[in-house]
Amino acid sequence: MDATREIYWNVGHGVVAVMYLLTIAAVTGAAFGFKERLEIWRQGKSLDRFDRRGDRVQRMLATVFGQTRVSRVKDGGLFHSLFFWGFLTLLAGTMLIMVQADLLMPLFKVNILQGNFYRYFSLVLDVAGLVAIVMLGGLFVRRFFIKPKGLETVTDDYRIHALLFTILITGFLIEGSRMAVTELKQNPALALWSPVGYVFAQALSSLGDGALSGLHKGLWWFHLLLGLGFISVIPRTKLRHILTTSGNSFLAPFEPKGTIGTINLEDESIEQFGASKITDLTWKDLFDSDACTSCKRCQDRCPAYSTDKPLSPMKVIKTIGSVAETSPKKGLLEAVTADALWSCTTCGACQDICPANIEHVNKILEMRRNLTLMEGEFPGDEVRTATNNIEVNGNPFGMAYASRGDWAKGLPVSIMQENSDVDILYFAGCYASFDRRNRDVAANFLRICAAAGVKVGILGKEEKCCGEPVRKLGNEYLYQMVAAENIETIKGYKVKRIVTTCPHCFNTLSRDYRDLKFDVPVEHYSTFINRLIVEKRLKLKPEPFEFTYHDSCYLGRYKDIFEEPRAVLKSAGGKLTEMSRSGYDSFCCSAGGGRIFAEEKLGSRINVKRVTMASETGMPILASNCPFCLTMFEDGIKTGGFEGKLKVRDLAEIVAERIVQ
Amino acid sequence: MKILVCIKQVPDMESHFRPNGSATWFDESDLAFRMNEYDEYAVEEAVRLKEQLGGEPEITVLSIGPDRVIEAIKKALAIGCDRAVHILEPEVASREPWQIASIIAAYARDKQFDLLFTGMQSQDRGSAQVGVLVAELLGIPSTTTLVGFAWADGVVTATRELEGGVKSKVRLKTPALVTCQLGLNSPRYPTLPNIMKARKKEITMLQAGELSSEKPLTGSAAFRHPEKRGSGVVLEGSVDELVEKVLVILKDKTAVLR
Repeated sequence: MDATREIYWNVGHGVVAVMYLLTIAAVTGAAFGFKERLEIWRQGKSLDRFDRRGDRVQRMLATVFGQTRVSRVKDGGLFHSLFFWGFLTLLAGTMLIMVQADLLMPLFKVNILQGNFYRYFSLVLDVAGLVAIVMLGGLFVRRFFIKPKGLETVTDDYRIHALLFTILITGFLIEGSRMAVTELKQNPALALWSPVGYVFAQALSSLGDGALSGLHKGLWWFHLLLGLGFISVIPRTKLRHILTTSGNSFLAPFEPKGTIGTINLEDESIEQFGASKITDLTWKDLFDSDACTSCKRCQDRCPAYSTDKPLSPMKVIKTIGSVAETSPKKGLLEAVTADALWSCTTCGACQDICPANIEHVNKILEMRRNLTLMEGEFPGDEVRTATNNIEVNGNPFGMAYASRGDWAKGLPVSIMQENSDVDILYFAGCYASFDRRNRDVAANFLRICAAAGVKVGILGKEEKCCGEPVRKLGNEYLYQMVAAENIETIKGYKVKRIVTTCPHCFNTLSRDYRDLKFDVPVEHYSTFINRLIVEKRLKLKPEPFEFTYHDSCYLGRYKDIFEEPRAVLKSAGGKLTEMSRSGYDSFCCSAGGGRIFAEEKLGSRINVKRVTMASETGMPILASNCPFCLTMFEDGIKTGGFEGKLKVRDLAEIVAERIVQ
Repeated sequence: MKILVCIKQVPDMESHFRPNGSATWFDESDLAFRMNEYDEYAVEEAVRLKEQLGGEPEITVLSIGPDRVIEAIKKALAIGCDRAVHILEPEVASREPWQIASIIAAYARDKQFDLLFTGMQSQDRGSAQVGVLVAELLGIPSTTTLVGFAWADGVVTATRELEGGVKSKVRLKTPALVTCQLGLNSPRYPTLPNIMKARKKEITMLQAGELSSEKPLTGSAAFRHPEKRGSGVVLEGSVDELVEKVLVILKDKTAVLR
């Protein structure tokens, strides 16, 4: 007997017209729902996210169908991915039946749903349905019984769970009742290709043919209406993420990570800087709120949230969404709150993990810009002082600018003003220039360069703060002032390459300054030293030591540099034990986003939390690659009571001790 | 209402000061300049009064000095002054307080200012004379070291800081001059729109010599670092080492153990 089945069995071909009319109604309903959302998004400012469409489509297909971002976190993510693939397969199967019954058969008299193809088709769809039900069950247990901390359940969640579960179960009941009347008796061998349906059919078969066909017909209509209902509620519930989250993988930026819009300060027509209301944000910022699924992965990773500060990246996004929907004309900053905005370290953990490609950090920066540039506000008086110091002396400490190069006296380095015939310009930055602990790092970096025969120059008193902390605090004006002066100074010399020991300077000079027409290659010392070792220009005598390593946010997450610093430390003789949070999942030291200037008054101390994680590895040494991290960890070791158990050492210090002269 | 705020641009106090070639003042190279701290309070208080009166008063900010003082003037304009007068004097350090006050008074005499704000003193010279001299020369009342300021119906009620934490209240009828002290207010950080607006505000340039040719009444004879006197010693090390070191000092430098 042939392996196929009669489509519209029991319900008859008479339903086709009604079915399609209802479908059109459901899709139209959904379209109107999205039109309402579109009106909300359109309140935002313009932004081009439709360039490079080929690349965007490619990225979207990979992200959506590969479930690449959502499956990065196994808890919840794995269930979601498998559910998605199951549900998608069912949708594809349904579409195929539609094409077969209402297109191929009436127009071409072709039946592709037969023979082995039909057998496998039946099997795949049954398995897909089963997977979807089991995964939905898993998600159900997770949400309603396990209740992970921070996961917020709203009315929508109950309704959506009920809807999806009913759609899936009724699907199998329809299949089972059909099979009980037909396949089970006429073609039992074929019935086995629908294993789940087979089980349902066996269970239902005792009802008798009359009752079964009545049940089948009733459920068929019920299932159809639920399916169409599902389509029509997509834009009006959390289900909208099917389109918005997928859409965001198309709309995500292509610029280098950490790119911030550079305000044109010459444009005197601009009257509003930063965002104080919904219309100051871009349409994409508002779209992001609709793409958020409240999965709270950002919140789980946020160093501010996890130390009891009033910031949750998820709530910032949600608040923007609700203000955009309810009262777009007022109160954005009041709703988000200045305390939440100032708590952000711009570590980027939220954005990195977000399965929906939401851009949290730049929204926070836009609102900070409003606080700083429009209101003249600071997170504290100490930050105001540091900012004033940068204005006057080019460093946050308020030290005399003319003493900036004093640290280098007696070290193998030339001041560019005196001799600019060098291989690299070392942009020392404020901490290496003035902070006692970080001066040691700078001196060790110079010793390493000297041992490798690299001629190094510094700008000395001509150098100024790169502007990173004030830019992240929203002070674009001061950032552009110091940046312009640094750029002009550096352009005055024939600089081939700049090396920094500070990831913040590194990011700023290599990316942010590009918008200000600066194009000298810039490198972080970890990759530079690694190359010196690989090219055998720097010879080390490895001495064994055990350590754990901290990925600074601005070297790791922002610049994807993970391997080189580890390679350097290993070639120095190090044996690495990773912290539970490393690589892209690294946990901030607390000093990013200009927080290096600010006292941590709210919640508990982020640096102590990170130092605690380091001490849990049992390693005696915590290796770092950033002056801010080094400063915060020195402090965290003291205030957290880890003295004598844990030492923080900079990569350059460890390497310099092992130089073969 | 017309308000005049007099400001001075001074070196940042963290700078390394060296005597200049003639050893009469400090060498200006390698110094970072900023607005005199007390003058910032003066500017802020004037702008607050303007805001209190709904923006009616016109605030003129005045500064004497070389081209560099434009930066301090721009900051005052960004905080909220309406117009500026830059009295060009390349050798401002050679002008002593009487001359500076004479220049300001010459400028202000026919302008009918209702209120004049200055800092209590400059951070570099610290004479605390210019404000009160200007008031004398203009023949108007003045009061100094303000930590509180209120204006109503042409009367200034000022809170002054006296020695030993004592405060006094003074009432003056305008026109009057007040000098401002730390604690009066905390100056705002200029907003970007105001910085941009300040670029378009009028800055009048005048030559110091055209306003006054008063001769100096005082002069600076010499300028040098204080002589190094004995300094404290901080001992470091373990207790045993510290005991050793203290013993050595007691033996060498004192007679206790002899």
